[in-house]
Amino acid sequence: MARMKFLCDADRCIECNACVTACKNENDVPWGINRRRVVTINDGKPGERSVSMACMHCTDAPCAAVCPVDCFYTTEDAVVLHSKELCIGCGYCFYACPFGAPQYPKVGNFGSRGKMDKCTYCAGGPEDDLSAAEQAAYGSNRLAEGKLPLCAEMCSTKALLAGDHEMISEIYKERVSKRGYGSGAWGWKTAYKETINV
Amino acid sequence: MVAFQRSWGLAAALAIALVIVVSGDALAQSGQPTSVNPTASSVKEGQLLDALKPPGSGPSAVTGRVSIPDTKSSVLIQPAGRDWRQIRQETLPFYGAIAILGMLAALVIFYLIRGRIAIDGGPSGRTILRFASADRFAHWLTASTFILLALSGLNLTFGRKLLLPLIGPEAFTALSQAGKFVHNYGSFAFALGVVLMILLWLKDNIPSGADLAWFSKGGGLIGSDHPPAGRFNGGQKVIFWVVVIGGVALSITGYSLMFPFVFTDIAGLQEANMLHGLIAVGMVAVILAHIYIGSVGMEGAFDAMGKGEVDLNWAKQHHALWVEKTEMKGKGAATPAE
Amino acid sequence: MLIKRLSGSSRGSRGRGAPVVATQASAVLDRRSFLARSGLAAGGLAGLSALGFTSMRKAQAAAGFDAKAPVKLVKNICTHCSVGCTVTAEVQNGVWVGQEPAWDSPINRGTHCAKGAAIREIVHGDRRLKYPLKLVNGEYQRISWEQALSEISAKMMEIRAKSGPESVWWLGSAKFSNEGAYLFRKMGAFWGTNSVDHQARICHSTTVAGVANTWGYGAQTNSYNDIRNAKTAIIMGGNPAEAHPVSLQHVLTGKELNRANLIVIDPRLTRTAAHATEYVRIRSGTDIPVIYGMLWHIFENGWEDKKFIEQRVYAMDDVRAEVKKWDPKTVEDVTGVPGEQLKRVAELFAKERPSTLIWCMGATQHTVGTANVRAYCILLLATGNVGAPGTGANIFRGHTNVQGATDLGVDVVTLPLYYGLDDNAWKHWARVWDVDFNWLDSRFDKKPGPNNTTINFRTVPGIPSTRWFDAVSLPKDQVDQNDNLKAAIVFGHGGNTVPRIPEMTKGLAALDLLVVADPHPTNFVSLGGRKNGTYLLPISTQLECSGSRTASNRSIQWGEKIVEPIFESANDYWVIYKLAEKLGFADKMFKNIKMVKGKFGDEPEAESILREINRGGWSTGYCGQSPERIKAHMANQGKFDVRTLRSPSDGSEISGDYYGLPWPCWGTPEMKHPGTPILYNTNLHVKDGGGAFRARFGVERVVKVKVQENGAEVEKERKDNLLAEGSYSLGSDLKDGYPEFTLAVLQKLGWDSELTAEERAIIEKSGPSWSTDLSGGIQRVAIAHGCVPFGNAKARANAWNLPDPVPVHREPIYTPRVDLVAKYPTRPDFKSFRVPNIGFSVQKAAVDKGIAKEFPMILSSGRLVEYEGGGEETRSNKWLAELQQDMFVEINPRDAAERGIAEGQFVWVYGPESSSKIRVKALVTERVGKGVAWMPFHFGGWYQGADQRGNYPKGTDPIVLGESVNTVTTYGFDPVTAMHEGKVTLCQIKAA
Repeated sequence: MARMKFLCDADRCIECNACVTACKNENDVPWGINRRRVVTINDGKPGERSVSMACMHCTDAPCAAVCPVDCFYTTEDAVVLHSKELCIGCGYCFYACPFGAPQYPKVGNFGSRGKMDKCTYCAGGPEDDLSAAEQAAYGSNRLAEGKLPLCAEMCSTKALLAGDHEMISEIYKERVSKRGYGSGAWGWKTAYKETINV
Repeated sequence: MVAFQRSWGLAAALAIALVIVVSGDALAQSGQPTSVNPTASSVKEGQLLDALKPPGSGPSAVTGRVSIPDTKSSVLIQPAGRDWRQIRQETLPFYGAIAILGMLAALVIFYLIRGRIAIDGGPSGRTILRFASADRFAHWLTASTFILLALSGLNLTFGRKLLLPLIGPEAFTALSQAGKFVHNYGSFAFALGVVLMILLWLKDNIPSGADLAWFSKGGGLIGSDHPPAGRFNGGQKVIFWVVVIGGVALSITGYSLMFPFVFTDIAGLQEANMLHGLIAVGMVAVILAHIYIGSVGMEGAFDAMGKGEVDLNWAKQHHALWVEKTEMKGKGAATPAE
Repeated sequence: MLIKRLSGSSRGSRGRGAPVVATQASAVLDRRSFLARSGLAAGGLAGLSALGFTSMRKAQAAAGFDAKAPVKLVKNICTHCSVGCTVTAEVQNGVWVGQEPAWDSPINRGTHCAKGAAIREIVHGDRRLKYPLKLVNGEYQRISWEQALSEISAKMMEIRAKSGPESVWWLGSAKFSNEGAYLFRKMGAFWGTNSVDHQARICHSTTVAGVANTWGYGAQTNSYNDIRNAKTAIIMGGNPAEAHPVSLQHVLTGKELNRANLIVIDPRLTRTAAHATEYVRIRSGTDIPVIYGMLWHIFENGWEDKKFIEQRVYAMDDVRAEVKKWDPKTVEDVTGVPGEQLKRVAELFAKERPSTLIWCMGATQHTVGTANVRAYCILLLATGNVGAPGTGANIFRGHTNVQGATDLGVDVVTLPLYYGLDDNAWKHWARVWDVDFNWLDSRFDKKPGPNNTTINFRTVPGIPSTRWFDAVSLPKDQVDQNDNLKAAIVFGHGGNTVPRIPEMTKGLAALDLLVVADPHPTNFVSLGGRKNGTYLLPISTQLECSGSRTASNRSIQWGEKIVEPIFESANDYWVIYKLAEKLGFADKMFKNIKMVKGKFGDEPEAESILREINRGGWSTGYCGQSPERIKAHMANQGKFDVRTLRSPSDGSEISGDYYGLPWPCWGTPEMKHPGTPILYNTNLHVKDGGGAFRARFGVERVVKVKVQENGAEVEKERKDNLLAEGSYSLGSDLKDGYPEFTLAVLQKLGWDSELTAEERAIIEKSGPSWSTDLSGGIQRVAIAHGCVPFGNAKARANAWNLPDPVPVHREPIYTPRVDLVAKYPTRPDFKSFRVPNIGFSVQKAAVDKGIAKEFPMILSSGRLVEYEGGGEETRSNKWLAELQQDMFVEINPRDAAERGIAEGQFVWVYGPESSSKIRVKALVTERVGKGVAWMPFHFGGWYQGADQRGNYPKGTDPIVLGESVNTVTTYGFDPVTAMHEGKVTLCQIKAA
């Protein structure tokens, strides 16, 4: 049983934004919706670090907890997905999400929110795996094809890792012990209530 | 609960302050040394998280720079979402349920004890104009939209637990989606109603000495002695101010939620949402009492807003001073107050 | 190895109905039960759905990936930077529907940067040129290819008749495939001009000149992958994190696994510097003092590699004399770097070896560009860091095939593959092309020269891309040819890439004919100012075209056409062929090139063009990389080792090869040379990619020296040996230095008997040297004896043929340190590349007029990761454009505060020439130091505050437009290559 997670090794991330455009490419994400983004902390100062961030697919996901219409569900791979058929675009998940993951297309007047869109871990949505309907509403379903999210697969420096948590923590631990430094498993404490001790 | 308590302090001020989140800058050295080891001096997530404070008192989120124009995306991690989640999941439903169910229970008990308050000496058969059509328009505009807003709002808080299991997700989503539209568009009518009320009734709702007397006698609800009151008695003034202050507060918080990130940032939105919910359930409770006393609770009261004209005896019983004033002005002429 | 797809077992549980992950409070549902739950209540209030509130986005079955249709995977090479990432495209029914990670490529190993991961968008083509357009009285009209090419060629012939062939200027592209680049250069030769240039002029022309003049070839000595082996790496004047992101995979892995020192020397704290172990901030334009500051400590402390210098370096003592002047105090005054820090860096570089020096345009785009590069090379030589794994000059080239286009002579100073322009070179290529040398000669202009000589323009370097508009606008007598430039034929090149745009617009307006052949209109169009005589030809990208490309590390990769060219666009081969046909020499030019059926009829076959390159590419070892061999590499990418780039010796068709057969790949393809992953590496046999420094400058140098003899000073000749001493590549039969191989050398050694009769016959007809022997026999015999065909010499610390034989510091033309100009002035005015270079006068005037007071900030420019070059293509890509929507200037918080400038507000940046100014957004950051401003150079479409979107033909305007930094950049050219001074000038910034 896999417990899928993301891990951004900020000591590798160079803000090349490959993860961002890979996501756009793979899922045909429209302009203005940023399922993934790279944030640079302490920009221009010694010690600057960049972190690629998207939905972390939290344990006990706050978005799912606060959703008024209960449109979220967690897959057996621990990926947090939602149904756009059920979503009403209320914005509550954005308030609760520690990572700014939920995105809303602007529809109608005064920037009213449309159906929420977010990173699916390239695992589609509630429709049939790899169906046209799933593709249109959520983008690709690489997990169903036995592949990992494209953002992580295409990461230029292999900073962004995706996969089962044991595997990616092992990789991160090995890296930190080899190189002797690590700025932390960004977002893990908040998302999973645990971190990687090295 | 820190955030919750603080939110009351903010509620008093009714200011949705732009809470500026500060990044880990504080940890970095200032100036531009020419000799540095950027790897060794890298920021650590742990340190940044430890440095976070509750919103308003320091950096409450880890933020940085992004190149896209969506400034909210520069917030990398905002654990404050957890506090908000607690308010939404526990605090608001808890206090909301207490306020609303408590009020309902109180009203039932009151009704059982006091029964319907009758007009002393029965209806006179003569009526006096209490509210002109403009007054009634303002009232019913506000009232009807408030009910829609309250129901659609309560649905967001309680619907998932109460309604969804009954009607299923798709129907519930359809209902909630409709509720969202009603809530968004209805809010403008509600806000207009509140503004009209202020314009029409503000000057008669300025607290006066008579109100003290009115309150000291329990507003006539307890016992049978009706203290004299002007156009609006102390209780009605309370309702007025609750509606005006609450309505304005709901509008401010509501519109900042409806136009996300236009007026405030994520922390501000969380604040706004918290206040909006808490004020709303409070108001629902108060309005329930208002509805009770204006309908089943008191004989002749509904006519004031129903027909606009009230029985003279009812008027003398509850608004003796107003009746005197009105009758002095134009003998017998049932002119509304101004 | 760092992240792999999940193994079958760990993924196996999915869909088997295994219990869901038992996490904490939140309900966990699998998709199907979730759906089922939704379905249960379909009655109830479902009628409300009819209101439309829940209507989902309509399934757009047509768009995107269809899981059922068969998918063809096609490999091509990313068309952006020079790293050479493999792009794996998923094609369904002729439509490019998705990208997959190219796991097998040893270069990118599945990864991409923002540009590579968004590359599929290029063939969506929303904003591409869709059909040929002609400008008629300021309006664009759609025309046919036939009409376009007929009118263009007629106009060219008219100009040729009136002004001569030199009045047509050819600007090619670093985006060409090798085959396209070669055809373009050949086109120039057949037309009769050497004015054939491309982007290398403005990115690494000074590198090529500097490096080639030091040790033989103008290219990266090692590879991106090899940086994994370094213990110390200096990145100086480069920001690969943004410009070559995938290279950082190798750099950072090396840094981590070796716990290597990663030192970044740069005026900006870049995204690369953020990952350094040491960051050194310098003043722009002081590279030579910084290098000499390091060498001062190295020589002072005896940290140099004495044996290496003795065996393999010529005239290091001349450098020592110059370095003596740069004591720590002087260095700190000029560069701003404290002596202690430089000492630390110097010690690491000299002692914690192997060390590599990585550079990019921060080094090259200066009036001292060539000298900078020479200084870098000297540092490498002094510390013995050339010719071994983990060492070397790791020059990161810019565009996808800038190395290949440079190699194939899209350059004003040489024919393909660095043969130069002399008669030997022309005769060599005439033989390869199978055309009459005299006919070629007749194509060129002649002009009377001094002393009754004749200038034959066939042997005269052409006009470079940095100076073309001067050659249009300057008075006729100041341009050294028969007439000014009248026509510009531009293939795949931006119009905002060189400084002095206000001057350029004048030249642009004065042209009789402008042809822009490109997937996008480029800034040549958006700048406007023309009403007629302009043609836009829609060229396909290399993703819609097959061909080979040479990555920065000299590996050649084959890209397969992914989809047919979209709309009416056509590939370079066909357009060049058709134009040659119209100009009347296609029969000669394509004599030995096979034609195949293409989109618009017969077109030259890429494989066949590459074979012609192979037949003539002896000088640079472009002879062994047949299309079959390169394609076999692409098919077997997974076999190559990530660290050494070598495939195992398993007897397969690629057995023992290095990935991409990095040049030089000696001899004929049948000789199966594996390629040379590391140049000048004496630790390997030549057969295994070993080598030595090239004997390019003779065997000895005669120096006139004054000596005291019997009390009187007399001039004597000293003969300096230039060949290596006691150093040779592994397994060499000659245990010392030796000259380049010719038939005569073979005869002298008695090895000529090993030539076959067939080879001998060919040698007699062709040139008798390793580089002109069309049989490959001389190379074969030399290598059989373990010798390098180009000889075994010393690298030159003193390159006596350059203007500054030993690099000396010269202040930028526009410097804030006016006090240093007297001591370190730029070179005197002189004429170069047919036009005057008045840098000295400009520098003097700037000092005299007090420009530095009025324009107190240093202005530099560089790359963003999302965009490439002039940026038209990438700014038209919606996935990239969204990430950088505004042109900006980086300004230090203190400078911003002094000027009352807030983050994100518009400011005016004023340049010191032509009253130029641009309106851009302020990005207030400590990336730049106080007194320094920095701007990206990818923007265009605004000019001095005015939006020029209307100048684009309808529907071809890029999504994002912005001011070009080159509107405010200034005069200044390298004396050797006419490289512009894009990295340092002065400016003033004011709130707008």
